[in-house]
Amino acid sequence: MTVTDQQEGQQHRPRIWAIGGGKGGVGKSVIASGLAMSLAARGERCILFDADLGGANLHTFVGMPNPQRTISDLFRRAAATLDDILLPTPFPNLSLISGARAQLDMANPAWLQKVKLIRQLTILPADHIFIDLGAGSSFNMLDFFLAAQNGLLVLMPTPTAIENTYHFLKASYYRRLRSVIRHLEAEDLVDAALATKVQNGVRSPRELLLDLQQRDPQVAQRLQRAMARFTPKLVVNQVQRSEDRELGAKMVIACRDFFGIDMGEPALIRNDERVLVALKSRRPVLEMFPGGPFAEDIRRLLALMLPAKEASHGQR
Amino acid sequence: MDRDDLQRSYALLGLTSDANLREVETAYRQLRELFDEASLATYSLLDYADRQEKLESLQIAFDVITQSRICPLPQDEPPVTSDTGTVCDPRTTPGLHLQQHRERLGLSLQDVAERTKIGIYHLRNIEAQNCDKLPANVYLRGFVREFARTVSVEDVDAVVDGFMAISRQPTESN
Ligand SMILES: Nc1ncnc2c1ncn2[C@@H]1O[C@H](COP(=O)(O)OP(=O)(O)O)[C@@H](O)[C@H]1O
Ligand SMILES: [Mg+2]
Repeated sequence: MTVTDQQEGQQHRPRIWAIGGGKGGVGKSVIASGLAMSLAARGERCILFDADLGGANLHTFVGMPNPQRTISDLFRRAAATLDDILLPTPFPNLSLISGARAQLDMANPAWLQKVKLIRQLTILPADHIFIDLGAGSSFNMLDFFLAAQNGLLVLMPTPTAIENTYHFLKASYYRRLRSVIRHLEAEDLVDAALATKVQNGVRSPRELLLDLQQRDPQVAQRLQRAMARFTPKLVVNQVQRSEDRELGAKMVIACRDFFGIDMGEPALIRNDERVLVALKSRRPVLEMFPGGPFAEDIRRLLALMLPAKEASHGQR
Repeated sequence: MDRDDLQRSYALLGLTSDANLREVETAYRQLRELFDEASLATYSLLDYADRQEKLESLQIAFDVITQSRICPLPQDEPPVTSDTGTVCDPRTTPGLHLQQHRERLGLSLQDVAERTKIGIYHLRNIEAQNCDKLPANVYLRGFVREFARTVSVEDVDAVVDGFMAISRQPTESN
């Protein structure tokens, strides 16, 4: 697959968001649905795409107990395109592509057509598509993540979530790096750098790039420029204590040091009991508690991710 | 040590060469903490060996910078009191530690020179950690000890150790 470099300028294509992070239970689905609800309420056409196959539950977050058509219909060839399985939700401007009843094992053969699927996504009639990636760092997850303009890495301030986040980040960074290297036909150069580096140990991608700089400044520069665009947003969820607040900023510094990428200001989402209360009544938390801390932090995340003009669009 | 080493050292601490010693110390301390074994923010990012190497490279960068410093004394900084907790570490930045204590007592370098009978030239180079111009270790040890006592440093030995560590000459004891 070649690197998808979709620029801001493409007005009619939907903006694709991928919400990942490697760990289950950190809040990917509630955040994905919150973002979509919030933008839909502003009049933007939003689609939620549940790619958490085997653990699909995104429909529940928008109050739809039993989705009639799901991605499994696509795999069973009972439906031909994503358009056919697009479901309206109880909320204006918000549609859902459900992953319910699909299994991971049925996903894999069909997922071979993921390039086709990604292409289909980009022509759906919407302003925003939110892909809930589910847990894990499989190639399928990574390719969706890399195809998105807005990649979000959701984690909680716990060692296991951090571990999975770094694992996901490394896996997606290297997958992207590999495709850029292939694109630049720089395989030999990188192999040579790696061959000598391996003896001393390649400590980090940033050091690899520094080494390449010595060998071929031009290629290194192009590589660097392409990789500098890899800037997923860290979203620290369930923030409670002051250490939790600092965690994201520290991880951003560590990633700048390790990968040489600048992920910018991390997003914080406070722990908010209303999330569970809303979930239990099977209503979106943003609809039930639009003024609560969770809703407020979702709006702040949106402001971080969207250029000012776009964020205010539809509010008037 | 050459200029490139120095540039790299500043870059490693996320600084440029116009940073003052206090900023160098702060950046160094924060990065050490970030890459410490116990740090949650870098948990699992680096394996044990890489982490050790990272910490070592930070240490080296810090040493390279402190040794390169030529008397850039921030004379007009407000005195630092011990209860603010911002007094610099006597082992890593012994010169700054001495300066802070001197300023806290409201003493000038001239005052210290008169009390210790040590030349102001040496005192200034000691505070600035100006390694090229420090006296030989045998003298340095005594000067630092005297200077530290005069400005009421609590842990005189730590400051002496700090200077022995950054001094270029081999110490006579080991
Ligand atoms: N900010 C938050 N405050 C309180 N609880 C939260 C928050 N975010 C998530 N949760 C809780 O965590 C659980 C898991 O969230 P979910 O979105 O299903 O995670 P994932 O999709 O990553 O597996 C939810 O049941 C929800 O109650
Ligand atoms: Mg989920």
